[in-house]
Amino acid sequence: MKRKLSIFLVSILLVGLFAGCSSDSKTSGNGKKDVDLRIWSFTDELKKPIKTFEEKNGVKVELTIVPIADYPTKLKPVLESGVGAPDVFTGEIAFLKQWVDAGYWENLSEKPYNADKLSDKYVPYVFDLGKDKDGDVRALSWQTTPGGIYYKRSIAKEVLGTDDPTQVGEMMSSMDKVFEVAEKMKSKGYSMFPDEGAIRWFTQGDNPQPWVNDKNELQLTEEKMEYMDYSKKLRDNQYTALAPEWSPSWFEGMDKPIKVKEGGKEKETQVFSYVLPTWGLHSVLKTNVKESVGDWAVTSGPSPYFWGGTWLGVYNKSDNKELAYKFVKMMTQDDEFLTSWSKETGDVLSYLPVTETIKDDFSDKFLGGQNNYQFFLDQSTKITPGIVTKYDQQLDTLYGNAVQQYVTGKKSKKEAIKEFYQKAQNAYPDIKVPKK
Amino acid sequence: MKNLNRYGYFFIAPFWLVFLVFSIYPVALTFYYSFTNYTGSGEAQLVGLANYKRLLTDTYFVEAFFNTWKIWGVNFALQMGLALILAMIFSDMRVKLKGIAFFRAIFYLPNLITISSVALLFGILLDWQHGSLNMMLMKVGIISDPINWLNEPTSAQLSISLILTWMWFGHSFIVVMAGVSGISKDYYEAALIDGANRWQTFSKITIPLLKPILLYIMITSLIGGLQLFDLPMLLTDGIGSPDGSLNTMVLYLYNQAFKYNNYGYAAAVAYGLFVITLIFSAFIFKGMYGKERKQPRQV
Amino acid sequence: MIGKTAVDNSLSNSVEKKSAIETKPKRKVSIPKILIYTVLIVMAIVCFIPFLMMLVNATRSNEAILSGFTLLPGSAIVENYQTMMSYINIWAGFKNSLIISVLVTLLSGYFSALTAYGFAFYVFKGKNAMFVFMLVMMMVPGQLGLIGFYELCKNLGILDTYIPLIIPAAASPFVVFFLRQYILTTLHPSLIEAARIDGASEFKIFHTIAIPIMMPAIATMSIFTFIGSWNNYIMPLVVLFSPEKFTLPVLMGFLKGSQVAQNLGSMYLGIAISVVPIMVAFLFLSKYIVNSISAGSIKE
Repeated sequence: MKRKLSIFLVSILLVGLFAGCSSDSKTSGNGKKDVDLRIWSFTDELKKPIKTFEEKNGVKVELTIVPIADYPTKLKPVLESGVGAPDVFTGEIAFLKQWVDAGYWENLSEKPYNADKLSDKYVPYVFDLGKDKDGDVRALSWQTTPGGIYYKRSIAKEVLGTDDPTQVGEMMSSMDKVFEVAEKMKSKGYSMFPDEGAIRWFTQGDNPQPWVNDKNELQLTEEKMEYMDYSKKLRDNQYTALAPEWSPSWFEGMDKPIKVKEGGKEKETQVFSYVLPTWGLHSVLKTNVKESVGDWAVTSGPSPYFWGGTWLGVYNKSDNKELAYKFVKMMTQDDEFLTSWSKETGDVLSYLPVTETIKDDFSDKFLGGQNNYQFFLDQSTKITPGIVTKYDQQLDTLYGNAVQQYVTGKKSKKEAIKEFYQKAQNAYPDIKVPKK
Repeated sequence: MKNLNRYGYFFIAPFWLVFLVFSIYPVALTFYYSFTNYTGSGEAQLVGLANYKRLLTDTYFVEAFFNTWKIWGVNFALQMGLALILAMIFSDMRVKLKGIAFFRAIFYLPNLITISSVALLFGILLDWQHGSLNMMLMKVGIISDPINWLNEPTSAQLSISLILTWMWFGHSFIVVMAGVSGISKDYYEAALIDGANRWQTFSKITIPLLKPILLYIMITSLIGGLQLFDLPMLLTDGIGSPDGSLNTMVLYLYNQAFKYNNYGYAAAVAYGLFVITLIFSAFIFKGMYGKERKQPRQV
Repeated sequence: MIGKTAVDNSLSNSVEKKSAIETKPKRKVSIPKILIYTVLIVMAIVCFIPFLMMLVNATRSNEAILSGFTLLPGSAIVENYQTMMSYINIWAGFKNSLIISVLVTLLSGYFSALTAYGFAFYVFKGKNAMFVFMLVMMMVPGQLGLIGFYELCKNLGILDTYIPLIIPAAASPFVVFFLRQYILTTLHPSLIEAARIDGASEFKIFHTIAIPIMMPAIATMSIFTFIGSWNNYIMPLVVLFSPEKFTLPVLMGFLKGSQVAQNLGSMYLGIAISVVPIMVAFLFLSKYIVNSISAGSIKE
């Protein structure tokens, strides 16, 4: 028995060593040389463009996808040391602000890139976000990601008497009006939103301010505080289907009625609308909706917002900057490529020379023939640039947490806000927090 | 007799060589960072004891400390209880259960599944409106309104404890069984002949002889448990909701370092946690060996 | 084996008779046994269900998975496999993971046994201090060591190789700790003394006496080490850059598309492909360990 075990172990060892040697020799033989360009990203959306790029230029590109949760962890040490680093890498809006200031991306305002000249070719807020604190361009983006409210036409017709996006948008142009619609929905047994988190994008109200201003002060605007009450009102009046974002029931609610248990009763309800941005149409709604295709439309909410977005730039220690920028250029400034890209994916572009030519004859069957392209382009011009800070993602989470405490009745509004201030201070000891 | 004890150094030398380079160096670097305001990139500036001063007055760290203990403690009691009962049953010569290899493998299964799948699974099971658990309880009529398990501090903590138990009792069981199998069968046979009952056999033979192994389980579980982090992070919003009840020490550390970029402070939190673990480990050692401290074996 | 069982049976029979006479409640052996089996089987089911769900999900499409759990298999397994293979070469990852995990397991098993033996049976200066220091080092949370570890590998020029994933296994404090605890209960110093009198060298004693006695414990720890290495995610993620060198868990990351439309089905398939072999190996190995234990105890 023992001998068998040891033979077994030794043979595993030998196989392991043998396989190890063979793989080592292989990698050292044709290791880094045959790849011309290395690109890192957190999604697979660059897969196709890379293929196009390879065919056009006769080069070999290697794409490494790192899940978004681990992306900064993996990227940071690599960019710091420059060992094994990519030539081009993308950044998501959540860590964009931090990265443009960290100096990992090549300064595109300098020669030979001269990206400043491009400024009026892009949707302003998109171009703005790629700039560092000195105003130099570090990253560019091909897309714009403004948001709207996607709703079901049939329900709108039944309850509101019309399914026309402009008219429905008019009925939801302020929070008070949203609640009027919600009340009507409720009286017919529908739910206005999947859950109260849906309205978080409208917290800015008419007064968009960055979370932290130039003087390093935390700003909790009146509008943001009011959002607490709005959320509570949605919950207390049972205007929602209690289906949190990305939960199975949230997806299910797009197509069929879902069960809600509240106050000892169980009822079935259909969700009227989902608050989602441009990409929500292609990667969320279209992939999950089967039965209600064509019954959807998109319109504007109480205030314009944007959600997400991918920027890309050239790593400043790359030894192949020319080719790297060539790729960035193709992704962000190539008329021919961008036209076919947006037609294929439905992605709303931020590069105006292309959008100007294609926006007019867009229509989406899923949205009952509506021209969503035109709609989103209009929305994107209404977005206030300069309110994004590197604190946003974390402070949004902390504030969302405080709102949740208030909505579920665990804390009073005052207590919840106080706790938010404490936690914000704890996370960012350097910012000035109102003493209350 | 010639002194062979110098061989001891040969035996432990390879270990220490590797340990020094790959473990101690990074940990020492962390210690250095705990005196700086390092943000994870760029230059670090020395700030003296500022991080440690902050740690001593940090209410969130204290909160995390108690949360971690509550969650780990409940889990440990359950997990050890189960592992010992199972070991008692399977090692009992009178019952002679079959299929130990099978059960051992099956009980170990939950430990094989990646933690993100575990979190996903239990997130769905415990879901407020549509979770299977609430549906079942309502059908049986135990509750009339669904319970929002992950929104109440107590039930959220208890959920984590139970998931941990589910994940780890098989592991503890295997370790205990490995220890039991090292005990000579002669003891048990003697006990049988003397007419000892199950409980006596277990408490008078198995447990005392297992002491080194039990110590191992307690210490490693304590070390692992106080470093509890991925489940609380994945099961709610990642910052310890509801009401900070899932804010564990390492989750706090992780958020400080990687979410808020207070790397230097996170390093100080790490050493705070380290001191706490050290103190409690010392208690365990004392509790188990305090009275009858064995002499080191002479060669 | 047979002889032993017969002895056991006669022993337990005699005890049953005894207890029947001496203790009052007269129980049939089979009823509690059935009860125990029932409980064990229920526990087994509870442990197996998520595993089953994973296998089932490997056959379902993305949308089907998002709409909830079921135990009925879907029909998307071929598509899932194709999606997966269009992103990653899972079998290459399999090979990489296997090489690393096997070497890690062997290194950790051998050197931990060596170290544990050194700590347990020799008396030398600083021994206790070193042992305590080793235990103490286990208590520093590892999350923060990552940046230092990366710097170290960079300076040693071993980034993008398997060295930083394999060599550190030679220093596994947990395994050393366990093996030391184990060998203190199982190996009596008189055995070593006897071997010395026979003229065996110290390393020979270790290899011929200590290792066989420690084998069940080494095997147990090897299972954990192997699985730990197999599932290790963050280290290979940070240390490796070339996709052809990636391990299975890192490759799984490739499958995550955008945040919303993930290739969940193919991910589950990938996880299933990586877990099922371990499962099977574990089932067999685990049986083998039990046998080797009882085989060992008969001889003595």
